[in-house]
Amino acid sequence: MSGRAPGGLVVGVDIGNSTTEACLGLVDPDGQVTYLGTALTRTTGVKGTPDNTDGALTAIRDALARAGRDSAEVRTVLLNEATPVISGLAMETITETIITESTMIGHNPTTPGGEGLGVGTTCSVGDLAEQPPGQPVVCVVPPGWDFDDTAAAVNAAVAAGVDVVAAVLAGDDAVLVTNRLTRPVPVVDEVAAVEKVPLGMLAAVEVAGPGRTIRTLSNSYGLATVFGLDPAQTRQVSPVARALTGNRSAVVVRTPSGDVTDRRIPVGELVLHGAGKTLRVDVDAGAEAIMDAVGRAQPLEDARGEPGTHVGGMLAQVRDTMADVMDSPGLPAVPVAEIAIRDVLAVDTFVPAEVRGGLAGEVALENAVALAAMVSTSRSRMQVVADRVSEGLGAAAAIGGVEGEMAVSGALTTPGVDRPVAVLDLGGGSTDAALLTRDGRATAVHVAGAGELVTKLVHSELALGDREVAESVKRCPLAQVESFFHVRHEDGTVQFFETPLPPEVYARVVVLTPEGPAPVGTRHRLDHVRRVRREAKRRVFVVNALRALRQVAPGGNLRELDFVVLLGGSALDFEIPDMIADALAPHGIVCGTGNVLGTEGPRNAVATGLVRAHAAAAVPAAREPVP
Amino acid sequence: MTGPGERPAVLVHRQRGAPPEVLREVCAGVEEEGVPAEVVDAPDGPTATALAHAAAQASRLEVGLGVDAAGAIAVHHGKLPGDRPVASGDADATPSDRRRIGRTAARVVKNLPLD
Repeated sequence: MSGRAPGGLVVGVDIGNSTTEACLGLVDPDGQVTYLGTALTRTTGVKGTPDNTDGALTAIRDALARAGRDSAEVRTVLLNEATPVISGLAMETITETIITESTMIGHNPTTPGGEGLGVGTTCSVGDLAEQPPGQPVVCVVPPGWDFDDTAAAVNAAVAAGVDVVAAVLAGDDAVLVTNRLTRPVPVVDEVAAVEKVPLGMLAAVEVAGPGRTIRTLSNSYGLATVFGLDPAQTRQVSPVARALTGNRSAVVVRTPSGDVTDRRIPVGELVLHGAGKTLRVDVDAGAEAIMDAVGRAQPLEDARGEPGTHVGGMLAQVRDTMADVMDSPGLPAVPVAEIAIRDVLAVDTFVPAEVRGGLAGEVALENAVALAAMVSTSRSRMQVVADRVSEGLGAAAAIGGVEGEMAVSGALTTPGVDRPVAVLDLGGGSTDAALLTRDGRATAVHVAGAGELVTKLVHSELALGDREVAESVKRCPLAQVESFFHVRHEDGTVQFFETPLPPEVYARVVVLTPEGPAPVGTRHRLDHVRRVRREAKRRVFVVNALRALRQVAPGGNLRELDFVVLLGGSALDFEIPDMIADALAPHGIVCGTGNVLGTEGPRNAVATGLVRAHAAAAVPAAREPVP
Repeated sequence: MTGPGERPAVLVHRQRGAPPEVLREVCAGVEEEGVPAEVVDAPDGPTATALAHAAAQASRLEVGLGVDAAGAIAVHHGKLPGDRPVASGDADATPSDRRRIGRTAARVVKNLPLD
């Protein structure tokens, strides 16, 4: 178009996994940029698909409106070339606790009754009257029995000479029953599947005093003493003792072949191809062994799992998801076999899982391995979006540059930063690093694992059951509600509220979301939730920051880096930037959250970088006649 | 015999004619949590919530329960506004709901999450 002044408005647009950002600049013929405004909106559709057009147009129009400009003044729109990586997650437990023949109940009802240890033969409460006197009996009470009736039946039996030494109840009324007994005994309640307790067998019931844990049934020799076991049998029951450790109450029933097994599930081998070698590593060897192998196979060309094993299934699932995401309309489908996994992050984790064969919904912490995997794609997926944006706005639109290089250019607008500079983009699926050397050469790497993996770890380790809650635990600080009017923050400070807090959050651990305190559905205390959250962030972001920076640093030496600028959504996190800065400090690196253009914080780096790159390229072009 | 409110206890204000089966479950809920409960005959209050609020004001633990003649129940805390009970149950609540409301009162005292 002739008649338009040289220079003009340029909009850089960065379409990310979750947000779309725009930067509006006025570029002079001599390449000087005046920044007029920025905008941020939610990404519409999956990144790199035509659905992104709506979000991109919204961001562009917002930036124009904020600067008081019209879309007719826009000379060109520049889109990022999407980081050519897609990531996937999988998690697999590698241990399993199974109780056979219903031999053990180890749970913590909130209110057990009585105190001490009772050893006797199991007998239903309805049959108490027929028991011979003098024989120790453990009374088993099915659901539906009222506490007054239960206490009356036991008291009557005791009066008749039956030696009732303990009781196991289905309902939640151990204290009520104990309070009504003429001779108090230990009582364990809330045993949901009480009908599965075998009758006529020798059983031991132990309840510890308030604030204490059981001593006899969690001790292998205690079990041996109670049940008269020989050394071989004692070895066999030692998993029972271990499974009961830390409980306030427990029941153990001796059946001929009952057992608790702590089984390791064969997960299979991970096969890594890279650096001209093929390395095999057993997944149940844990994250450290896997990451060590990944490190030796750098640069990784592909990773596969043994077919027919858990790890084979895990990686196949990741590959399938990635093939679906990479499919773009108008292009042939991506063959799954052609997808090469270019990076793997393994993290040791644990998953609270309901014990198979348990009678009271017992939960055991099972070991698990979480894998984040990432594939590279050579397909340009942004051209379609550029075409549609051009159509929708009535201005030219083009791919302006590769994400990593643009990010590092945008990061340079942060006050106090100079070349050589490295950026760490802490995203959702991958952690990306890019380095701009003193002489202007840029390199970029992508490693698997970022914010989504942190959410998944928090979600599964705390057994939250709701991904949204896990997301807010990751994003917001915690507090303990101490009364209807005050909360204690995780740093110990106390905040008063004028309007009473709702009963749903009373005495709970809450996340302080912008909408107010939201309960975290867990029996764990604040300290535990906080530790899980921080450990998840450390195992993903600190580990990946070091891994990615080593790959871009000259000679793999972190000391060669001067400035590290943190970008991306997770750079806004309230603790991740500090954790990374702490980890980098010993290497003499200046590290902090970016402040793009001195105003945008860690946002808008790529969009700003696109405008800067265009302006720099426009200088020689401006001397030539405009076509 | 000490008067009501002298011993630390959850006070239960009972309207004349409050059904005994309701009181039994409510008190059982408090007892199961290991907190003392004390039943007091209240002058005719307008609602279970008002009875509970008065009971909470009189309780040394600042927690009260109200049971009206029809069997409706409420739990209140002395520092909460009168019209905002911690929990309440209709006259046709199930026995386990009544037990739960009693337990809620005790858990407010013990500063434990309510269920």
